[in-house]
Amino acid sequence: MTWLVMGSVVAVCLYMAWTIGANDVANSMGDAVGARCITFRRAIFLAAFCEFAGCILVGTDVTDTIRKGIVKPEALSQVPEMLCLGMACALLASALWLHVATWLGMPVSTTHSIVGAVAGLGIVAAGWQSVSWHRMGGIVLSWFISPVAGMIGSYLLFKLILRAILGKERPLAASVSMTPVIVFLVVMIVALATIYDGMRNLIARGSPLMKYLSGPRALVVSGAIALVAAFVAWLLVRRTARAGADLSLPEQLGRVERVLSPLVILTSSCVAFAHGANDVANAVGPVAAVFDILKSGTVKMSVEVPSWVLALGGAGIVLGLATYGHKVIRTIGSNITELTPSRALASDISTTATVLVCTRLGLPISTTHTIVGAILGVGLARGLGAVNRRVVRNICGSWLATVPAAAGMSMLLFVLGQSLGVHTLLKQLMPQASP
Amino acid sequence: MSLIGELFGRSPFGPLVEHTKKVHECVKLVRPLLEACVREDWAEIHRLQDAVTKLEYEADVVKHEIRDHLPRRFFLPVARADLDRFLHCQDDIADAAQDFAVVLMLRNTRIHPEIVEEFRAFAGQVLLVSETLMGAAAEMEALAETSFGGAEADSVLKKVGGLGEGEWKADRMQRKLSQHIYRIEKELDPITILFYEKMLGTLSKIANAAENTGDMLRTMIVKS
Repeated sequence: MTWLVMGSVVAVCLYMAWTIGANDVANSMGDAVGARCITFRRAIFLAAFCEFAGCILVGTDVTDTIRKGIVKPEALSQVPEMLCLGMACALLASALWLHVATWLGMPVSTTHSIVGAVAGLGIVAAGWQSVSWHRMGGIVLSWFISPVAGMIGSYLLFKLILRAILGKERPLAASVSMTPVIVFLVVMIVALATIYDGMRNLIARGSPLMKYLSGPRALVVSGAIALVAAFVAWLLVRRTARAGADLSLPEQLGRVERVLSPLVILTSSCVAFAHGANDVANAVGPVAAVFDILKSGTVKMSVEVPSWVLALGGAGIVLGLATYGHKVIRTIGSNITELTPSRALASDISTTATVLVCTRLGLPISTTHTIVGAILGVGLARGLGAVNRRVVRNICGSWLATVPAAAGMSMLLFVLGQSLGVHTLLKQLMPQASP
Repeated sequence: MSLIGELFGRSPFGPLVEHTKKVHECVKLVRPLLEACVREDWAEIHRLQDAVTKLEYEADVVKHEIRDHLPRRFFLPVARADLDRFLHCQDDIADAAQDFAVVLMLRNTRIHPEIVEEFRAFAGQVLLVSETLMGAAAEMEALAETSFGGAEADSVLKKVGGLGEGEWKADRMQRKLSQHIYRIEKELDPITILFYEKMLGTLSKIANAAENTGDMLRTMIVKS
């Protein structure tokens, strides 16, 4: 019986992760495919690898937020079976809502869906005060801040690219000499986010390596890794440095994009990594809570998220990518040919930084909205031919529609499950807690 | 529905260059038209007039396509009004070239041998102005690539910078040519003089429109 419950929860989790993989992953690789930097088969493999790495290496913080940050576990500590049922309902509700919304053609976010669903279950299971509104407020605020941060970051980065490369007398030579700098920046961001007090799933807490990497030393280590990466990049591009000096300025500008295009593969992979790190929690957070309660019979606060749960989410995402992602990548890739490498770099780097910072703060944000914000930033820096303003309205619409709908659906499912007596069944399955 | 897929509109700058090229093709027929007139080859003038009209129409189609694809909800890297005016002025160049062809087609006007050379020189100056502008406007895509800034913008500004003086020279040549025409007015009939004036007018309109287009290009660069 326990296995049946666990199995069905895992199935819903896989479905949720599948949705994330199918819909969102194209957002990270779309620009690279659209700019023809990489073949689309390779893009799928690379995205799968990076998503999985992101889930495993940095996926813990946001998962913890979904698991125990939104609904105060102490509010339900007397009735662990309720939390168990509730989390399962929240997961099912947001999966259902995503399905309905996709069918209706609405732009939705898995993040907003799961956060809404979990908050909804808290309200109906243990009352209004059981939801940590302080934390919830922070999360909602981060939904405003993350696209704006993405926008400001990419605006500044694109202005920098304009000044350091495109605006130069010899842009081709400038693009070659700037390549190691860009590589350094990107690798530094990703390495720092991964190492800094992270990798809790791979390194035992309190082990010498963990102690070694925490604190300011993480900065030095990431800096060293980034330096090595930059040096490798320099070795790769230095031969092309003198090419094309005799070309006219417009011809050189055309070539610049080709020099920058391998970098887009790197930055797109980083976006996929960041996406995996933040969004795996949407599928895995409730599952971690359910399993934890079923196993121990109590609502525990300090347990680490087991690696295999994160791996489960990662596998689901990769599955979605493999089965359906190619369609979405193709569509998006053909839509965003405007996002040439010089533009894609700015938006990718800014997105990666924003998403990874939010991830380390445990904030579940929408990667898609951050990417949209970053692309708008490039547009504001006069980098794009024509940007649709209406998309901003659609983003706000997705907030307004998704959160209440997912919350409502989760409440409904919870009440239904309760009236059917599912929680008593769950209680029987649990080991009895020692007082 | 994908938010990111919806984010991008069609960039107007590729089609703008296409429009520039069409207009340039129109203007390129001015010299053969004038030579046909000097040779008094009226059949050739009719043929060329048809060609100019067709090209002008094609430029119009491109112009409308650009305007139709730029609804208000799209955010552009340059002010929409400047872009619109640029397109309008550039279209005026093709219009003026077409007007010149029509003037030659309407009436078989002989060009007096005494003014042929001066006529050629004036037309040459007008075409020089228009070609300079076309060379700069054809770099619109490279300008968009650099967000209308940096070295590329400087080089376009330099090219456009000479337009004013070129247009002023064309004006002066037009006045000299007019004076010459009135010096030999006794040898000409009044309607011929009227048509000479029309030819001069349409040619100088080409130079004028080219200068205005260059001004709009400069405005787009300087503002950003």
